[in-house]
Amino acid sequence: MARTSLLLALSLLVCGARVSRAQSSASDLLGQGVRRYQALEYDAAAALLERSLTRDSAGALPDSLRARALTYLAATELFRSQRDSAIAAFRQLVLLNPRYRPDELIFPPQVTNLFQEVRRATRAIALAVPPVAELRSRSDSLPARVLASSLADVVVTLAREDGTPIRELYRGPVADSLLVKWDGLTAGGTPADDGRYILQVTPRIPTADGPRARQVVLDVKKVMPDTLAWPPEPSFLPERTSSGPAFRSLAAGLVAGAAAVALPSIVAPGKDASGARFAVGATVGVAGFVGFFARKPRVLEANARANASQREGWKKRLDAVRAENAARLRTIRLVVRAGPQTIADRGSP
Amino acid sequence: MLTLVATAAAHPQGRPTLAFRGDAGFVWVRNDTTAAGAAGPVRLRGPMFGGEGRVVFNGFSLGLGLASGTLQTADQAVKRDLIEGRLVVAARPAPWLEMSVGPFVRAYVTDSVTERWVFWQARARVEAPIVTASLTSYVELWRALSSDVNLVTGAGRVQGGEAGVVYRPPQRPFWLRLSYRLDDAAVRARGSETLEAISLAIMVGGT
Repeated sequence: MARTSLLLALSLLVCGARVSRAQSSASDLLGQGVRRYQALEYDAAAALLERSLTRDSAGALPDSLRARALTYLAATELFRSQRDSAIAAFRQLVLLNPRYRPDELIFPPQVTNLFQEVRRATRAIALAVPPVAELRSRSDSLPARVLASSLADVVVTLAREDGTPIRELYRGPVADSLLVKWDGLTAGGTPADDGRYILQVTPRIPTADGPRARQVVLDVKKVMPDTLAWPPEPSFLPERTSSGPAFRSLAAGLVAGAAAVALPSIVAPGKDASGARFAVGATVGVAGFVGFFARKPRVLEANARANASQREGWKKRLDAVRAENAARLRTIRLVVRAGPQTIADRGSP
Repeated sequence: MLTLVATAAAHPQGRPTLAFRGDAGFVWVRNDTTAAGAAGPVRLRGPMFGGEGRVVFNGFSLGLGLASGTLQTADQAVKRDLIEGRLVVAARPAPWLEMSVGPFVRAYVTDSVTERWVFWQARARVEAPIVTASLTSYVELWRALSSDVNLVTGAGRVQGGEAGVVYRPPQRPFWLRLSYRLDDAAVRARGSETLEAISLAIMVGGT
């Protein structure tokens, strides 16, 4: 077991080191390419920049550095009189980030003019979503920015991973960028369930030369809110006296009365006895009935009044907790993790 | 020690209390011993009056009682004086239970002879409140631990019982008691003397 763990840790270390080295290598290549460009060594610069862009996914440049590399590559190709290659690089740049603009302080007008020319010709749309967002349904919203290289008519939709549509968030034109918000609810007004969703921006009328649909996978996790505990039921006072004492009184009278009547049979069986025992037995029995009626259950008005006000206060607290819990349950927190932006497949929602 | 004495003296519950009871009742005696005569059982009846005083201390009590009356047959041919006396030591192991023990003397006195019974009683009395602190019923049974009679036939089993109700009027210092009592004293040869009594008593003091 310990050996397996050690091997696993070593493998992870080696893989991590490889990824880090590949990434730094692509960055280094970009840095070297930029320096060659600045030294006007355009052939060498083009080679280095192309190598930095052709790294596999593990060592690929992040989008910001990739945009920089493409800009320098396009400028390099332009100065190498490779206009078509420059246009291709700029086209990739526009598709990568429709809002990206080359720095006019760094690049001469002939480069920026070509970029603008390519940008106008290349119709691209993109989606920018924060990698992690936490929102309370109904009160917060997930911001998603739709970017367009030029005026585009788009539809922004949210669907389940299997393609089941959830909501349409926007339908209309985007000139440069547009902020679309999702409040975490489905079309039915209920908070979205846990799962993976696809946020997609597509042109309203897809054409062959039009912008390609882009999508971001959203991993949504519902965090149930803490609800308040129900207030404990107060200990109410008895509202009626117990029937026990009444029956005990009756029993005390009847048993003693019966004992008086049965005393001759118990103490002197077979002997004649006077009728005096019946008089005493009846008196004690009647006393039992008197006790029964004197102690029969009755309503305790003061207790009933005290209980009524206590019950009312408790019900108010109960209603307040119920309302608070309902409000808390309505505002469920959603944790949304966004994946990388990808080009949507043709025919996908 | 002084502190204990002072505390006991200052505590009213530590002081003994006195209780008195006055009885007025009617007694029936049925005697079918051979000594009474061969003609059949002798039946006597008559009023009886008595009293008892008790010293009550911390759940224990010591009492002395005396009662007497004159009994006669229905045709007034036979007449006897009845005298009863008893000494009792009682304890309350529970509020509803009183156990007592003590000597009891009963004498039937005529002009010529006195029939005297002496026995040691063990008594158990159970009380049950009907209305709290106001009306209580009770049943008491007793049996002689030893008995003696100055008849030639000798004393046999002697036992008895009592049942009644005690009423304590609110805001009054006295109690009222109505009771029915039956004692049966067997003689060794054959027959017995059975005494029934119904009595109304007024009690003062005690707790």
